[in-house]
Order: sequence, then C-alpha cells, then structure tokens
Amino acid sequence: MSTPLFSVEGLAKHFGDRVLFDGARIALESGSGYVLIGANGTGKTTLLRIIAGLEPAGTGQLAFRSQASPVAEYPETWRHEIVYVHQQPYLFHTTIEKNLEYGLARRGVPRDARRARVRDALAWAGLTDRREVPPHKLSGGEQQRAALARANVLDPTLLLLDEPTANLDGDARRQVLELVTALCIENHTVVVASHDPEIIRLAILNRLHVSGRRIEAGE
Amino acid sequence: MDLFEPTRQAFHLLLTGDPELWFIIWLSLWVSVLAIVLMTPPSVAFGFALAKREFPGRRAVVVLLQALLSFPTVVIGLVLYLLLSRRGPFGAFELLFTPWAIMVGYMVIALPILVVFTVSAVQGADPRLYETARSLGARRLRAALTTLWEVRFAVMAGIVNAFGRVVSEVGCALLVGGNIAGLTRNMPTAIALETSKGAFVEGIALGAVLVAIAIGVNVALAWLQGRGGLE
Repeated sequence: MSTPLFSVEGLAKHFGDRVLFDGARIALESGSGYVLIGANGTGKTTLLRIIAGLEPAGTGQLAFRSQASPVAEYPETWRHEIVYVHQQPYLFHTTIEKNLEYGLARRGVPRDARRARVRDALAWAGLTDRREVPPHKLSGGEQQRAALARANVLDPTLLLLDEPTANLDGDARRQVLELVTALCIENHTVVVASHDPEIIRLAILNRLHVSGRRIEAGE
Repeated sequence: MDLFEPTRQAFHLLLTGDPELWFIIWLSLWVSVLAIVLMTPPSVAFGFALAKREFPGRRAVVVLLQALLSFPTVVIGLVLYLLLSRRGPFGAFELLFTPWAIMVGYMVIALPILVVFTVSAVQGADPRLYETARSLGARRLRAALTTLWEVRFAVMAGIVNAFGRVVSEVGCALLVGGNIAGLTRNMPTAIALETSKGAFVEGIALGAVLVAIAIGVNVALAWLQGRGGLE
C-alpha cells in the first residue's frame, strides 16, 4: 500500500470537558477526493482546520508527504501546499484580482507570471469581468467563486473546502457546485465538508463519516 | 470684551510670519510628529500581540492601558521630571528643559492611545482575516501586517487621536520643558502663558492654528477612509 499524501494519527481536540476525535485517524491518498459527512457539531470543520494548521491546540500526529509533525507544531512549509477555504470566505478589502495575487506573492511568483495565472483563474471561475471589483460589491455566489479561484490559482497539493455551497441557492449554488466538481476532477487532492446532497452524491468523492469521536470511511 | 480686534491682530500676526510665533508652531509640530512617528510602530506591534496572543494577565494589561488613557498628563510630567532631573536616574542625559524631554513625555502619553486603538481594531476584525492570510501561505509577520492593513483606518484613527492629544497637551510639556522662549515654548504652553499675561492676540493666533491642525488631520483621515471605500 502506498504512503498516503496526508495522514492523521491519534487525533484529539479538547473543548473544555468535551473531546473530539478520541484518537481518530485518517489517511488521504494523493489525487483522491473526499467528502466529510456528519451532523452539525461533529467536528467536520475542526478536522479541516487541523489539517490546515489553523487549530494548533490539539494532540496527535500529522504527516504530509512522509514528513511527520505533532498537531501543535504545524510546519510553515506545508502552508504553501495545503489551502483551506472558509464556509463564508473572507476576501481582502481590495480588488478580486489582488485577492488572487496574494498567495502567489507569498510563494515568490514573479509579477508577470502572477498576472497570467490570475487571469486564467478568473476565467476559470467566470469572474474575468469582475476582476477590479471590491468584494463587498460581489454577490454571495461570486464571493465563493472568487475564494475558490484564489485557492485554485495556487495549485495546492491538498485543498480543503468547508461547506462551499452553504447559504447559496439557484444559479449561484449550481455555479459553485460546477467549480467544486472541476477541482475534484483536476487531479487535486480535495477534502470537502458538506451537507449538500449533490456534493455527497459525487461519485468521485470518497465518503468519510465524522461522528464526534470517530472518522470512518463508508457509504 | 471685544473679540474681533484681537482676532484680527492674531491673523495679522500669523500671516505676516511673526518669527517667534512660527518657531512655537514649528516646535510643537516637530516634537509631536516625531513622538508619534517613533511611538507608532512599537505600540501597534504591541497592540497586535496583545489582541492576538493569549497569556496570563492579558486582561489586566488591557485594563491598565485603558486606565492610562485618562491618566493626568501633568502626573506623567511630574514622574518624568523626577526621572530626568539632575539627581534622577536619567539625569546624566541632561534632557530636562529640552524639546527632547517634551518628546519623551509625548511618547509616554501616546503609548496607551496607540495600543488601545490597535487592540480594539484587531479584536474587532473578522477572525477569518488572519486565518485566510495564514492559509494562503503568509508567515506570521506577513499575516499580522495584512491584518493591520485591513484595519488600517481604525489604527489611523488611533494615530490621529494620539497626535491630537499630544499637540494640545500642556501639563507635561510645561513641567519637563520649562516653557523656555525660543527653546521649549510650544503652542499649548504659550497659550497658557500669554493668556495669563492678558496677551490674547498670541493666544488666539496659536489657538487658531491648533484648531486648524485638529480639523485638518481629521479631514485627511476622513478623505483617506473615503478613498478606501469605507465612506
């Protein structure tokens, strides 16, 4: 069996007296897609945040590309390959184009290359004509698409999406759903936390049931 | 009392470039601006750390800083006087009755204002902001700078507030500066002195400049906020 791209062992996260993931473990294979299923409060978002290094106060061992690290000592270098998108994404108070450039600049991508990649990502998300618009002038669906484009432009090894279609309906939901499906197909390793039946039904996604203490694969 | 004639004379004094008056204005401005420029980076950094870092006693530090906001500046001047006087621990620097002593006093006065405004701005910011920067690959320092940039107008309001407080401050400047003509006499101490002598013309002229500075700085902040799309 091949070494997983990302694995979690002996995971536990304390919220006062309550313990999430009492020693839970998961392994994410490279190029595969996963959907986290579970009721509210069972830890789907917390799990994504731990994988993204946004929840340092937890116990357990993480491993990415065979490099091991305790949850509390998340390596900085992993942040260049693992990208997390919030359920309601935060867009910086500047243009959408500059939002997309932000992560590329952090990776030292030269300006010309940055511009070209941002142009492609905006086209991918159907936001080319919105590139100079500030985020507060975008609809909820456009904001979510901008956040997905901002993550996708970085070509992450592991992409974590938290309820990408929540609070959306109609065309906005359908457009975001198409982008999420495209991301799963485009050879990324993607983990999506979702209640959306259409995302859960996507055949390309492996189901992981999150139930507070355990994380189990299954139908 | 006739207000019109002294006011007319005050503006005449200002417009004819009275050297003594303009030295007082210049001294007030450079001492205040330099104090704020020197104090802003460490205060904002401290404010950010205070807003973001959990440590025992953090709440007590914030409460202490909030209490310092209303601390009498004349007492700050008194403490500084004792520290800088010839027999004080910093007497060897011979700063007392120099503009540098006033500047140090202004820095102490500005510190809690700058820190408290920064703490409030950062704590009021959306928590997803810092996380988003980190998740997009920003290191801690870059994510902190991104956060501060996003809340820059709230931080700038603190800078404007601190500048307004020090440029019009009397007690501390009077004690550690000594109100020496041509050396440490600034706008507020000059207004106090001239008014006590019954020389209202100079007082009105300097008062008008102080009001103009206060209005100008706030208008500039409002203009910047407007350019930032937050009007």
